[in-house]
Amino acid sequence: MKRKLSIFLVSILLVGLFAGCSSDSKTSGNGKKDVDLRIWSFTDELKKPIKTFEEKNGVKVELTIVPIADYPTKLKPVLESGVGAPDVFTGEIAFLKQWVDAGYWENLSEKPYNADKLSDKYVPYVFDLGKDKDGDVRALSWQTTPGGIYYKRSIAKEVLGTDDPTQVGEMMSSMDKVFEVADKMKAKGYSMFPDEGAIRWFTQGDNPQPWVNDKNELQLTDEKMEYMDYSKKLRNNQYTALAPEWSPSWFEGMDKPIKVKEGGKEKETQVFSYVLPTWGLHSVLKTNVKESVGDWAVTSGPSPYFWGGTWLGVYNKSDNKELAYKFVKMMTQDDEFLTSWSKETGDVLSYLPVTETIKDDFSDKFLGGQNNYQFFLDQSTKITPGIVTKYDQQLDTLYGNAVQQYVTGKKSKKEAIKEFYQKAHNAYPDIKVPKK
Amino acid sequence: MKNINRYGYFFIAPFWLVFLVFSIYPVALTFYYSFTNYTGSGEAQLVGLANYKRLLTDTYFVEAFFNTWKIWGVNFALQMGLALILAMIFSDMRIKLKGIAFFRSIFYLPNLITISSVALLFGILLDWQHGSLNMMLMKLGIISDPINWLNEPTSAQLSVSLILTWMWFGHSFIVVMAGVSGISKDYYEAALIDGANRWQTFSKITIPLLKPILLYIMITSLIGGLQLFDLPMLLTDGIGSPDGSLNTMVLYLYNQAFKYNNYGYAAAVAYGLFVITLIFSAFIFKGMYGKERKQPRQV
Repeated sequence: MKRKLSIFLVSILLVGLFAGCSSDSKTSGNGKKDVDLRIWSFTDELKKPIKTFEEKNGVKVELTIVPIADYPTKLKPVLESGVGAPDVFTGEIAFLKQWVDAGYWENLSEKPYNADKLSDKYVPYVFDLGKDKDGDVRALSWQTTPGGIYYKRSIAKEVLGTDDPTQVGEMMSSMDKVFEVADKMKAKGYSMFPDEGAIRWFTQGDNPQPWVNDKNELQLTDEKMEYMDYSKKLRNNQYTALAPEWSPSWFEGMDKPIKVKEGGKEKETQVFSYVLPTWGLHSVLKTNVKESVGDWAVTSGPSPYFWGGTWLGVYNKSDNKELAYKFVKMMTQDDEFLTSWSKETGDVLSYLPVTETIKDDFSDKFLGGQNNYQFFLDQSTKITPGIVTKYDQQLDTLYGNAVQQYVTGKKSKKEAIKEFYQKAHNAYPDIKVPKK
Repeated sequence: MKNINRYGYFFIAPFWLVFLVFSIYPVALTFYYSFTNYTGSGEAQLVGLANYKRLLTDTYFVEAFFNTWKIWGVNFALQMGLALILAMIFSDMRIKLKGIAFFRSIFYLPNLITISSVALLFGILLDWQHGSLNMMLMKLGIISDPINWLNEPTSAQLSVSLILTWMWFGHSFIVVMAGVSGISKDYYEAALIDGANRWQTFSKITIPLLKPILLYIMITSLIGGLQLFDLPMLLTDGIGSPDGSLNTMVLYLYNQAFKYNNYGYAAAVAYGLFVITLIFSAFIFKGMYGKERKQPRQV
């Protein structure tokens, strides 16, 4: 009796322990039958395309959204083990380079995909970023995310005498010219940028180089070093509103004057311009601006740049590669879908056959009727391909830190650069760092 | 031998299975990784003691070590001081304060807020140009220019210490009060009759009798403090700005592993942290039990 009771109790304990695991595997087992395709991404952007895809092909797609902060750490073990893995997954620019080389994405240059033949149909830098170190295509993107300077037309008219994007862009075509404009802005009580971090996208200057070259050497170009001085000049000459990116005052400054305290005085200032890419218009400016709708325009800065972007590819251990690539194809090469997607969202596409036909009749009310589509397409073709490395995000942060040290006067330029080298070497011991 | 009942093993099996899979296995795997150059994907290659050698000469780890101690030390001193003063007031027989339950919950409340909300809240309060603290100080005429609290190493560290104090003094207060209520009232009455003043009662009766409780708080706080991560991570840019002053040991570990993909080295950092925690815990334990052994045992 005692024995039987014991066995009974032990089995209850063990069943309780494994209950979690077994029920899990059951649902995922069932799920496999119900769902034809699994997609992982870090935004809800793909929801609508997936619906279209389901209707077109009569299949069921499951979308898993993981917030960007956890996305790489959650996705990696799944891809390593292949258990519960997606058939298609997206990658963000911040970790794209690492992933195309990690071998999780199917080689799309091979048969039956032959995606390398598409190269001249895409914006060069976008297509180039989806290639691994051997030059094989691993991921494709439907969008291009070049940036510009969004400015307020009314202020431009008052201070610069014109609000025409081409003319204003001409006035800001080099850093020296930007400072001329900034000086005029300051004279009338306006702030050129929210804060000095805004110009970080122009650090490359006329000499775009990757952070780390083929020989694994860290490259801090003279242009990048000059950026330190530009930042300090912006701060010292009080050209900005001291509102760091994504801070509450940064958002507030888009619509109304903000208060700045400096040198024992408090002044109110209006911010003239924000340095943002394509998506900045739709998901930052449009969502935060209420009063100055229509008073904005976008133009080019001292050098072309891009910020962000989403790529997608097929998981190389997927059992359903055919359907998976069908989805990738729809997202990146389907004329009909891409045309309606672009018209609906305003997303600037990287697939040239479609952009060629739609770019001429775009105009945005928010930008006072400007054809921003055409503008961004022009910018995107000016971007030098092949300068993105897997180290970029972290090295940008470390360098931004060094610049901040110099701007706030804590360190001399030399000390700040020395520390940047040390920290870069500490983070990536395999990179060769100049010994200074 | 037949008397042995083997079912006991089945009963403890569930715990051991969970413990093996979720504790022992990761700990052992981390130990293995600490001898490799694993980068998070692909094969791990054995590199011998290279990671540990690097750890011993790593100035950033040393910096993280001292930062952690500074932040924890200031926080602990303030937190214990505050908890003891409050305990002294609330347990004083001459004052006999009412509403202790109310205060206890009020003091404990900050501990219930998620750390990310706390970081966000203080990020706004301590903001340079638009923070409430600077606005208040300027209105009162104490400062003429706003202070960039989170941009100066000393004030940033102090801010983290103070936030931690704010979050944890209520917890310490409750534990101390529990200890105080365990002390017999007779001692206090006797002291009162003998004409002892408040300070004498506190330092000669309360503190000595609270020693085990104080050591308990100290050990738990130390272990928590050595693992300080979330506030420094969330308050500034996540890599220890300004000037590396918020770079704590676990933050350093996290960044090495998940930002720079140096999993092998991060594993070595984890073991370094483990050894440090072990040493300090051993010291405290010795301080706690070593002295008691000297006392004559009562029969």
